[in-house]
Amino acid sequence: MSDVLVRLEGVGKDYPLLASGASRARMLVSLLAGRGAASHATALDGIDLEIRRGDAVGIVGENGAGKSTLIKIIAGVVKPSRGTAVTNGRVGALLELGSGFHPDYTGRENIYLSSALLGLSRRETEDKVEAIVSFADIGAHIDEPIKHYSSGMVVRLGFAVATALSPDLLITDEVLAVGDESFQKKCMRWLERYLGGGGTLLLVSHSMYHVQTLCRRALWIHQGRPRLAGTAFDVAREYLTYHEEKTRVARAAAPAAVSGTQPRLESIWLERASGEGAATFALGEDIVLRGIALEPDDRTPALLFGIVRADGTPVYGSLSIDAGYAATRLAERRYAFAVRFPAAPLLPGKYEIRAHVLEPEGLRLFDTIETAFVVTGETRDFGLVRLAHEWIPGREAP
Amino acid sequence: MPAPPGHSWRWLLANFLKREVSSRYTGSMGGILWALASPLVQLALYALVFGVLLRAPADALGGWRFPAFLAIALWPWLMFGDSVKRAMDCIPANTSLIRKVAFPHELLIVAAVGGTFFIHLLGWAAVLVALRLWGEPVSFAGLLLALPLLAAQFAFTLGVGAFLAALQVVLRDVEQAVGLALTVVFYATPIVYPLALIPAPYRDWLALNPLAYVVTRYRDLLSGAGGWQPGDIGVMVASLATLAAGLWVFRRLSPWFEDLL
Repeated sequence: MSDVLVRLEGVGKDYPLLASGASRARMLVSLLAGRGAASHATALDGIDLEIRRGDAVGIVGENGAGKSTLIKIIAGVVKPSRGTAVTNGRVGALLELGSGFHPDYTGRENIYLSSALLGLSRRETEDKVEAIVSFADIGAHIDEPIKHYSSGMVVRLGFAVATALSPDLLITDEVLAVGDESFQKKCMRWLERYLGGGGTLLLVSHSMYHVQTLCRRALWIHQGRPRLAGTAFDVAREYLTYHEEKTRVARAAAPAAVSGTQPRLESIWLERASGEGAATFALGEDIVLRGIALEPDDRTPALLFGIVRADGTPVYGSLSIDAGYAATRLAERRYAFAVRFPAAPLLPGKYEIRAHVLEPEGLRLFDTIETAFVVTGETRDFGLVRLAHEWIPGREAP
Repeated sequence: MPAPPGHSWRWLLANFLKREVSSRYTGSMGGILWALASPLVQLALYALVFGVLLRAPADALGGWRFPAFLAIALWPWLMFGDSVKRAMDCIPANTSLIRKVAFPHELLIVAAVGGTFFIHLLGWAAVLVALRLWGEPVSFAGLLLALPLLAAQFAFTLGVGAFLAALQVVLRDVEQAVGLALTVVFYATPIVYPLALIPAPYRDWLALNPLAYVVTRYRDLLSGAGGWQPGDIGVMVASLATLAAGLWVFRRLSPWFEDLL
């Protein structure tokens, strides 16, 4: 089988405008004549994408950007209006909550239905039903119609089916956002193992954390057109920056905030010691926080960083002027700063690092940006950080 | 649509078929008996109105008593009429699948029509046995001879069902129109009356209706009178042509279902 699972070249999709009965009649004539739909609205245009076996690709974009349409084209549900879309192999789509599920079927019937939809034989499925039921872990609900399920249960079942049927390409659309914490962890663990074993993933997500941890490459779709394709890290950073700017523009539009008269942060990002951008660090690795701040009076701004664990527990924070640090002036009113955490002693887990900009005296806080990162590694230590310590010989109390 | 390598869509069709048959009656206490009950009530009503009140002429019934005359045509009619209705329902009913998973949509139509034929075949067989016990001259050898015609009727129904189901996705008016049309076709088919009652020139027009042809032939064959006729071949060819045309239209439109639903 070919190594390329999906190849899209200049793919575009128009949806027909079907306001009136007459336009539907014209549509019928033109479809029967093999000409395609006549009047239309463009949902997607000029998309190039190649997914090879073993790839993990993220698709990011705002609501309505065309992500779901793109996935439908890859899954073969929608016929592209332009360009060519070639897919090889078995595409297991986990589009919205439990796609390939029929609401009137019971959970168990849906397992059979989805596997038949994926083209599996009866025997192949029967071998896997028990594994699916136990992964989904929804108890006796498995024999009730899906329409009585909570959305979390549907996702559990959908994920269980998709994992057991081992499709050549797994597509997930915001699936990880649903389900409780422990199930999400189970899914993440499974996905990491799946990718480690050479599986191929197309992940649609609003969570840059998921995109960065699971994907190597990413594509940002903006208003139906590709805006940026590259490494997951670059795309995620640009995408987040875009949103930062968008909210900042919104903030500026509000009369209370006077744009350009207060210090603010342009961006922050994390790097390894080598200068490579990253969001995942190994236990004990150097972590470098870098950022750009803007100071309207062109005086060196004061900066503050703070690290919190994902559950909000503060770990540590410190102010630049207390250390006598002055940010580097890059241009008029534009300052770059960096903080290095040598052999960062954070224990494995999810963290957020926040940077704040203050006026030069360090009294008033003006702007905040935060970014998430993950520390990976294996240790039996517990708590937040590894404190410097040594075990020494004991003796009797004095 | 080709199945993934090494696989076929046969099991998916089996799934749809099983579901089509079981879904209608699961959860009801009567189960599949309802499949028999509804036609039986229709049979009783039509027999009362057309057999007793309006008195169909006994000499035109080809040797059958009126309820038997009616029953032999009623179940095949339901195979057609119910199948068309189910075929038109099955695309909207499976919107959630069509919008998210790629599979050959015609399997839904095959399942809708196949499931309906299966249910009404059971009913028909039961009724034919009952008629025989009641003393009607039902010939089971004739039933075997009727099977190719039944297959032709299946192909014809599948073609019509596929055509209308696809058309309905694009044009919302189809469903309303078909409801009316089925009533008209029911009375344009000699089910509740013998064809002999129709004046000669109109009778020839009615004979163009393939359903009129097959129900008349079922009555002939089941009475044990005669074997195949040249017209049977004509009906089979016409049915296959209907099937081909219906599937052609369906396949032209089905890639666009997701856009239109």
